[in-house]
Amino acid sequence: MSLSFPTMAAIRFGYGFRPGEAAPRSKDELIGQLSKGASATPDFPLGGPDMRHRAILSLQAQLKQIREDAKTVTDDPTRREMRKAVQRQAQQQFQHDVNLRLMQAVLSPYGFYERLSTFWTDHFSTSASKSLPMRLIVPLYEAEAIRPFISGRFGDLLRSAIAHPAMLIYLDQADSLGPESAGGIKRNNGLNENLGRELLELHTLGAGSAYTQADVTAAAMVLTGLTIDRKEMDIAFRPNISEPGAHEVLGVSYGGRRRSRDDYLDMLDDLSVHPKTAAHISRKLAIHFVSDQPDERMVSDMEAAWKKTDGDLTTVYTAMLDHPAAWQNEGAKARQPFDYVVAGLRALNAGPVNGVVGSFLAANQQGTDEGDMAANTPGLAGSPVTTDPAGEAREKRLKSFRTARALGQGALRRMGQPTWQPPSPAGFEEGFSAWITGGQIAERLAWARRAAAQFGRDDDPRAFLRSTLADAARDETMRVVSQAPNKISGLTLVLASPEFNRR
Amino acid sequence: MNRILLSRRGFLTSACCLAAAPVFTPVTFAAMPGDSRFVTIVLRGAMDGLDLVQPYGDSGFAALRPTLALTPDTGLLDLDGHFGLNPAAAELMPLWKSRELAFVNAVSTPYRDQRSHFDGQDMLESGGEHVAEEKTGWLNRALAVIPRSDARKAIDVNTSTELILSGPNNVDVWASDSNLAPARDEMQFLARLYAGDPPFAAALAEATRADTASMMVEPDGQHGEKIADVAALAAKMLKGDYRIASFSITGWDTHIGQVGQFKRPAQDLAQAINTLKTVLGPNVWGKTVVLAMTEFGRTIRQNGSGGTDHGTGGCALIAGGAINGGRILGKWPGLGDGQLLDDRDLMPTADVREVAAAMLYRQFDVGVDDLTGKIFPGLGFDKGSQFLKV
Repeated sequence: MSLSFPTMAAIRFGYGFRPGEAAPRSKDELIGQLSKGASATPDFPLGGPDMRHRAILSLQAQLKQIREDAKTVTDDPTRREMRKAVQRQAQQQFQHDVNLRLMQAVLSPYGFYERLSTFWTDHFSTSASKSLPMRLIVPLYEAEAIRPFISGRFGDLLRSAIAHPAMLIYLDQADSLGPESAGGIKRNNGLNENLGRELLELHTLGAGSAYTQADVTAAAMVLTGLTIDRKEMDIAFRPNISEPGAHEVLGVSYGGRRRSRDDYLDMLDDLSVHPKTAAHISRKLAIHFVSDQPDERMVSDMEAAWKKTDGDLTTVYTAMLDHPAAWQNEGAKARQPFDYVVAGLRALNAGPVNGVVGSFLAANQQGTDEGDMAANTPGLAGSPVTTDPAGEAREKRLKSFRTARALGQGALRRMGQPTWQPPSPAGFEEGFSAWITGGQIAERLAWARRAAAQFGRDDDPRAFLRSTLADAARDETMRVVSQAPNKISGLTLVLASPEFNRR
Repeated sequence: MNRILLSRRGFLTSACCLAAAPVFTPVTFAAMPGDSRFVTIVLRGAMDGLDLVQPYGDSGFAALRPTLALTPDTGLLDLDGHFGLNPAAAELMPLWKSRELAFVNAVSTPYRDQRSHFDGQDMLESGGEHVAEEKTGWLNRALAVIPRSDARKAIDVNTSTELILSGPNNVDVWASDSNLAPARDEMQFLARLYAGDPPFAAALAEATRADTASMMVEPDGQHGEKIADVAALAAKMLKGDYRIASFSITGWDTHIGQVGQFKRPAQDLAQAINTLKTVLGPNVWGKTVVLAMTEFGRTIRQNGSGGTDHGTGGCALIAGGAINGGRILGKWPGLGDGQLLDDRDLMPTADVREVAAAMLYRQFDVGVDDLTGKIFPGLGFDKGSQFLKV
């Protein structure tokens, strides 16, 4: 082991150090985070799952009403206003959830659990950009379909991720009908292979492994019937749109004369323990956590654990942590933007309870964009300086809100990793070279300066380097940081250092 | 997705250029009754006072600084027949001529030997005798002893003030929306930081390539307009309820290629003071004192890379509409053998805290006991101070 265990555990398997929070000292502690993380309620969605379910239903009802009105009323400004208001409200709820998701990662003491939640949410990618209701559904999806299942059997995680409205909407499953089913014939509509394909290619077996187009089509056929009850905004299984007959996927036959929910559940279970799935996901985990070129023996240990336990994920993670390669070659991976921003905010988050960063972000969750359009910043050329306290207070709130935005979701958008909005079903890029580029470094440096100026004024850069990177700090970085021309520069250099951008 | 405009300009421009990133430049304020105003400017990075105000009349100065030393024949602007002003700060000359500007030579904080920017700036801002002795800023402690009104509550902002004004007494922080690119001295540190890591070095090179704009160097003048924004913000607040303001100018850590590097911060300094004067207007400028000071000076001799290293004695500036300026204060220690500190630095002949104390006394009638007890512990100060002559 080249670096101390706590440093490797915090940086490679967590979101970095936070002042006052003890880093894991053993593998047992790391693994122990999984059950603790899973039993804690996540900070999102805003108001909790039950309230979110109601909000989704109410949004659906409003959208339906707007559509109904559209049939009778032509170009009515009131209706346009109403549609705008509905959109704005959904958008604001989503922004709020994005902030909460960031806070969750910053404040949680269970870094390994949080990192795994990010990994699996990305593995089973869905996007809030797909439609307006998805702004409300995707955060709920991570909270109820991913997070509770990431340390149990992969088969259960697979079932819960695939059979969730977010996934069904994102991959068009709700539009997939058995061509020969009663419902399909009646609606003269047919199969949509999207979910069937991604299920094999991304979620289980992996691209280029031993499946054919026939397997994809058959998997899509098995999935027909799985759809969304738009009234309840919940999943449903409707035999009348389910393709009749048996469908063979990878040599196993599913279905028959009577189609039922069990057909696709059986298929998911079989896929979850397929050796190709064990190989694909073990490697993907190893690449994500340890190295773009992972140690083959580590990957095969993980595969073996998968096969031995029928995909018990905790056992698979343990096999990864038990291999010496997990603790060598520190810094082989680049921190992705979310990882970088969270680690930076954690590093600066000194202070009791939620810390200075947590308090600031919490206080400035809700802002308005009013005034962004009006260039009425005091003191700038041609703008009035307000000296009435209420006006000043408003200005300051607006500024704080903008700063919080700039350090949080604004930065993530600019760095190319907007929360819950991956570029494709394959999720965000994984490789080192995708994230360490000129534009990215420029963005990160700008972020580091802004964050250091906002939160770091009481920190001595030398002490900050020690608490933030511990023994991962290079001697050269210590030299450069201690010679920086002022504190803000020094703190910026810590956050911009190669070792802070690596893990 | 709504795109949020984060600053008036630049934040949504291409990500390839760091110049587009707004940097948070805090300006701190305090409001009080009365008419006198006081602005402190912290020159971070150790300004080379010998480059700003050059002792061209000292024999031997040119030999100590072969590429840095100027004479009136090579562009230096004569101040008093012995000292001359660096032409990069030429915009200060009108203030000098109208006696609204004075320089103080050979001052320093009590900080010695270690020459760390962080500790040096902590000392400068906290006003103590030793590193980490004082946890609050001297300007904040001064607020407690200036008779002031509580009618105006400070607004709770979730940003931190700079140390000089931080402490138990109410101050407000405003951030200018200026987009200040990293100062050149910072960029060198960044280059060093990445030197040993090829992918990062390559990414930095890519980021700094001058394709659309360079994050290293902006065209001269453009940057000045931005520091002008900060100064204008300060001035406008001082025209309202505020009486004390503080902000920083960075870029002074000139270890390498000082001839080029010194220009921008020197222009910034001139620009900041001129902007304060312009925006405040003649009436308020007449009640204002500006004090610009730095954590320590730089070595007498230039180093092997055309720059200077961390020293001790340095220079401070005092400006204002009603000061008795056009003069150079401070006892000049000379540059000859035996006159230097450790044979490398300008020998400090006064404590820079005494300059600050004199300004507080002058502007706000802060009592001598408060100045030498609560505000600057251990400082010797009396009404005979040479710095009260301005």
